[in-house]
Amino acid sequence: MDLMYNCKMMNCPSRSRTFLMWGWLLILTAGLSGCSSGLAAGPVPFIDLQERTPLPIAAPAEVVHLRMGVAAILSPQGTMTSYSALAEYLSRKLGRPVDLVQRRTYAEFNELVKRGEVELAFICTNSYVVGAQEFGMELLLAPEIGGESVYYSQLIVPADSSAQTMADLRGKVFAFTDPMSFTGHIYPTYLLQQLGETPETFFRRTFYTYSHDRAIEAVANGVADGAAVDSLVLDYALQREPEMAERLRIIHTSEAFGIPPVVVPPTLPPRQKAQLRELLLTMDEEREGQIVLRQLGIDRFIEIEDAAYDGVRRIVQMTGTRE
Amino acid sequence: MSASNASTRDGLTVAPFPSHRLNRWAETIWRIIGGVNVRTKILGMVLALTIMLGLAVTWQVRAVMTRVFADELENRGVSVASDLASRSIDPILLNDTYALHQLLSETVLNHPDALYAFVLNSQGEVLAHTFGDAGFPAALLNPEVMETAEYSLHGAIRHWVYNSNEGLVHEMIAPIMGGKAGVVRLGLTEKRLQAIVDAVTGQMLLTTLAVAMAGIIAAMILTWLLTRPILDLVKTTEAVGHGNLQARAPHWADDEIGTLADAFNRMVAELEASQRAIAEKEQARHMLLKKLITAQEEERKRIARELHDGVGQVLTSLMVGIRTLQRGEAAQQEARIDELCAIAGETLEQVRTLSRELRPSLLDDLGLAAALERYASEFARAHPGVQIDLHCALPNRLPTPIETALYRIVQEAMTNAARHGKATVISVLVSQRHGSVQAIVEDNGVGFDVDAVRRRQSSVGIFGMSERAELLGGTLEIESSSDGTTVYAEIPL
Repeated sequence: MDLMYNCKMMNCPSRSRTFLMWGWLLILTAGLSGCSSGLAAGPVPFIDLQERTPLPIAAPAEVVHLRMGVAAILSPQGTMTSYSALAEYLSRKLGRPVDLVQRRTYAEFNELVKRGEVELAFICTNSYVVGAQEFGMELLLAPEIGGESVYYSQLIVPADSSAQTMADLRGKVFAFTDPMSFTGHIYPTYLLQQLGETPETFFRRTFYTYSHDRAIEAVANGVADGAAVDSLVLDYALQREPEMAERLRIIHTSEAFGIPPVVVPPTLPPRQKAQLRELLLTMDEEREGQIVLRQLGIDRFIEIEDAAYDGVRRIVQMTGTRE
Repeated sequence: MSASNASTRDGLTVAPFPSHRLNRWAETIWRIIGGVNVRTKILGMVLALTIMLGLAVTWQVRAVMTRVFADELENRGVSVASDLASRSIDPILLNDTYALHQLLSETVLNHPDALYAFVLNSQGEVLAHTFGDAGFPAALLNPEVMETAEYSLHGAIRHWVYNSNEGLVHEMIAPIMGGKAGVVRLGLTEKRLQAIVDAVTGQMLLTTLAVAMAGIIAAMILTWLLTRPILDLVKTTEAVGHGNLQARAPHWADDEIGTLADAFNRMVAELEASQRAIAEKEQARHMLLKKLITAQEEERKRIARELHDGVGQVLTSLMVGIRTLQRGEAAQQEARIDELCAIAGETLEQVRTLSRELRPSLLDDLGLAAALERYASEFARAHPGVQIDLHCALPNRLPTPIETALYRIVQEAMTNAARHGKATVISVLVSQRHGSVQAIVEDNGVGFDVDAVRRRQSSVGIFGMSERAELLGGTLEIESSSDGTTVYAEIPL
């Protein structure tokens, strides 16, 4: 009886019932797909952005950091890559953190040294010449590469340029590195002086890149028709990126000048100065130090006399471009 | 085999519970759907479809938009964070906090979805941020939160999501110089995109509502269009049911309902016609019956008169003659007997004629052909100016009812032709073919208006002829013009 009733009842609406069921299923799946489409799957933490607290003022360090300054011979990133290993090495040797300090311009950097805001500085030759004269910047050491402590200013042009000498760059776009740079600004200005010209009249346009590696790139990419750069930086760049050599051509190399030195501010206590000198001088005697030196592209640090920079002084005086 | 049986049985025992419940639902829904009128059904259908479609599409569009926007937000966040990371290298290394701050502020300002950005150095100290002077949300630096968070990686950039009082925030953490110079963290809010999604959803819902409204109006018009003719049909049906056969359903359109209305109207028209025919027939029958009774009485009166005046008189004179014979002389007796015999013979002839007139015994004894011949000769004697051509081609005897009917039909037709038509020639043809018998009576009389006579129901004779033919399943047709009249009767065998 019951069964019969069931069958009879099912007879008519069973098809519509199936439709209904599928309909609901469709709607449900659509709904689920809609729900699950949110990006954040699962619970996410809550953070109150309204609850603000003043940032903690850096507590005075218990140990005094050694501040190692590197002038913008390289770009900030290049400097970081090259010198962070040295900073870590010194930090390990001294048993205190070493901060790597950089500034955009040589002038700003000299100001740091002058105020004693760095304890150790790697700077450009002209910066030393100026600093020594202005506030008694002290020479610590100089790098030695291939048994020499000299470097050159090299005039580079794009590989497809027809220029053979500086004279051929008349009316072109020229990239200077930094106003205070010896190889990147003062020396090319000196070359123009020899031609009886000034950068303003000789070139169509000039600009500053504030580092040598950027000046090299500017020429390689054709942004500038020429630039004068630090031979050490150029060698290093070509060594790291050999294909760069195909895009550049060196049309002039200067006489040798004293290599950019390592200096300390005049206010540095003699004991600390001695400790730093000792540390750098003995780097090449141990394996760890050798690795760091290789990364910097130098053989070792050696003592150097102030007279090594007389050649630079001469040209600076001739051009009258102190800065 | 047994195993499969068992499983089938198991399947059957498990199934009924939900299906039974579904049945109950289906039954309930069916009862509700079945219980409401067509207007509500159509309205419900249109509304349900419109709203369902609208909601489903809205839902789907919302889901797709949310997904696409989330992906887009993520991709944009990754590219902005990566750009920020590379552009913050120099300011960090050069310790140019102002430039760094400018970079962050401008980035946040220029990206509508950016909520904040800040840079941490490698020691985890905040170098610059865009939260302003009010301070920094310390919870963002909570190492516990950062450690337990779930990250998805896009190259070197980590992406994680948290909830805040600004809604869901997607944060991109991009290392600067591989993390050596620190990290930049960029917070992106979903708010703007969510607002767009909400606006679109609202617009679509509004559209759905508008379409549903239009649907209601359309459904109402549709329902009116559909139900109006049906309701009219129902009204007409009721009117017809109450006997108003003049009622007609209006033909609204050339669709199925229009066809139905036409069919219905045709049916009612036929019903009316047949009703009228029945009424006419009934009336004619009634009259026929009345006339029949009258005719019967007349006939009886005539027979009574015939018997009284004819046979009675003769018998009386016979009786008187026989009495005088008793008293008369022998010589006169013989002549007297001859006279009486002649009177008796005459009387016998009178009785025979009377009897034949009532019903010709020839019809029973020799059949239709003989009876008609006898009738024709008598008719000719009674109507000397009428020429009669009789052709009877009947191979054998017909069933008695048919013979009687045809005899009476021919008799009536001939009588009419002579009496009303003033005919001078009457031709009678009786033949048998294709399983039926035809009788054609043709005259050259003045003719008459057949329809008018039929309509007036004045002629019992014509009606009687028709009745006789139709009673035996046959037909009777009368064609008449000023040149004469033809009566055509056909009776199936």
